[in-house]
Amino acid sequence: MPPVGIWIDGLIQSCIYMTMAFGMVLVFSILGILNWAHGQFYMLGAFVVYYAVTAAGIPFPISILLTGLLIAGLGIMVKKFVIDRVQGVLYVGVATISLIFFFEGAANMIFGMEDRGLSMVLSGVLDLGSFSVSYQKMAVLVFTLVVMIAMYIVLNRTKVGLAIRAAAQEPTAASLYGISVERLSLIVMGIGCALAAMAGSIMAPIYPINPFMGGIPMIMSLLAIVIGGIGSLTGAIVGGLILGFLNSVIAYYLSYFSEVVLFLLVIVILLVRPQGLFGAALK
Amino acid sequence: MRFIDYKNVVPKTVIGLLVFLILLIPVFTTNVATLSMLILSGIWTVAVMGFTLVLRTGQFSLGQSAFLAIGGYTSAIFTVKLGWPFWPSFFLAGMASGIVSLLVGMVVLRVGNIYFSIITLALGEIVRIIAQQWEPVTRGTRGLILSPPPPIILGGFKINFEASPVPYFYFTLCLIAVTALILWQIGQSRLGRAFAGVALNPVLAEHQGMHLMKYRVIAFTVAGVFTGLAGSLYAHFLTVITPYVFGLWQSIQIMIMSIVGGISSLVGGPIIGTILLYTLGDYLTRVKTFGIQPLLFGAIVVMVLIFLPKGTGLVDLWGRFWTKVVWREEEYEPDTPDD
Repeated sequence: MPPVGIWIDGLIQSCIYMTMAFGMVLVFSILGILNWAHGQFYMLGAFVVYYAVTAAGIPFPISILLTGLLIAGLGIMVKKFVIDRVQGVLYVGVATISLIFFFEGAANMIFGMEDRGLSMVLSGVLDLGSFSVSYQKMAVLVFTLVVMIAMYIVLNRTKVGLAIRAAAQEPTAASLYGISVERLSLIVMGIGCALAAMAGSIMAPIYPINPFMGGIPMIMSLLAIVIGGIGSLTGAIVGGLILGFLNSVIAYYLSYFSEVVLFLLVIVILLVRPQGLFGAALK
Repeated sequence: MRFIDYKNVVPKTVIGLLVFLILLIPVFTTNVATLSMLILSGIWTVAVMGFTLVLRTGQFSLGQSAFLAIGGYTSAIFTVKLGWPFWPSFFLAGMASGIVSLLVGMVVLRVGNIYFSIITLALGEIVRIIAQQWEPVTRGTRGLILSPPPPIILGGFKINFEASPVPYFYFTLCLIAVTALILWQIGQSRLGRAFAGVALNPVLAEHQGMHLMKYRVIAFTVAGVFTGLAGSLYAHFLTVITPYVFGLWQSIQIMIMSIVGGISSLVGGPIIGTILLYTLGDYLTRVKTFGIQPLLFGAIVVMVLIFLPKGTGLVDLWGRFWTKVVWREEEYEPDTPDD
């Protein structure tokens, strides 16, 4: 049995994967495409919050919200100027993959390659006898809970949420009932990118910030989506949880080979249950 | 998806002249830097051709660099660790990579589409991690040091791989020629039309009695074999193989070259795309601005996808040049299906 610290690290990682996978699935359910550049929005979020805190001196919680807004705008621009103009689902995927290059290159040129670190905003440690948790990590947990509850309320208790669920089920019928699927997809793209950016910004004080930090979370949240079932929001959350915990627990025993084990696990899940744990049958 | 029939568009003499000029390049220049750039772009061309073949069946693989790595490491391990001669290990590299792609394809292509991309991406990472961590065999990040292929003696004439890159140049050309010939034949044959059918409308194709899995696996395996051969040549040309030269970045680079070149032609597209982008990338790495290369590559792909939609790519411009400027024919109007 690994020590408690490993489990806590796993929980923190799952929080990030959950938030990112949730945004990806939300975008997928309306737009019908995977946004491969999601990890780069995570990276940009971390950079924006870094500069907001160090250069502009905006307090950390407010700068997280600002980052969310800013990157949501960027996501909407990507939707307007790239995704809408490229024809064919396959090629939209290709375009978003090449956006990975674009954003990494841009970040590299603007911010430079070296690692940066944001100093801990919430100093102090919660001492629980045999182990301790820093408040910064607690903040990640609280943030994820708040985001998930907020998303639950938005999706289930508001008109926009009703429209999103309807459009995800049946876009044509939804648009017959007066829902502008076009506008809805812009909103959803904004929400998805904002989630990724806020996940990146809440992690900024914990992990080093560099232009390539988005790769691993992106791959992990993709795997989380596959485990949970593409297009299922519950699946994204459960997949993210499973993956975060497994990643840190297996890494405790196998160090670098943990990723290999995870990938093989995902391949086995695909073989046994191609639609994922919570997904509907494959079309 | 539309495919141009170049037989009727570009005269054979033009293509023949181009091939002849390429064959003569070592006569004009023996500059090592120029030649090695051409050789490396030739090696990438083979990998890109494989990717394009897979894309023709409507699946996009994000793990083509895994096959480069498998090919390269197979031939490196067999020549360095087991002391095999070059040629058997070269072909074994192709076979090993083909077998891996066959097995992976049989498992993953069942689900296809996004799942295929995600799993091939995962495969690429798995191969890279194994190459990095399996110290006793791959020497981890320090990499394996290879020797160039042994000299070939033809009568009184000796082809020495160690002295200059010229033999490598012709060797790469041979590999490209063989790949191009086989892929061109596939594109012409019933198999090529079956690939297009499978990509265009999988449901309809299946109802017509076409076994989707079969065609997807064939394309993926053929791509795997040639990518493995290219990987072996890559390792022997650079004489060192490290895990860093094969990763997600390289897989995406292969994808970008294929898309920019265009998938409407299995041979012309990859050649145009790779040579243009490889030269550009080589030039950009000499500019001391980090990040400009990925930035431009990303921007170029998005531009190509917007202005030359549906993967027609730059090769379509070449076709249009011949039809409209040279032959002054009517606007080429293919029947594009709605999707």
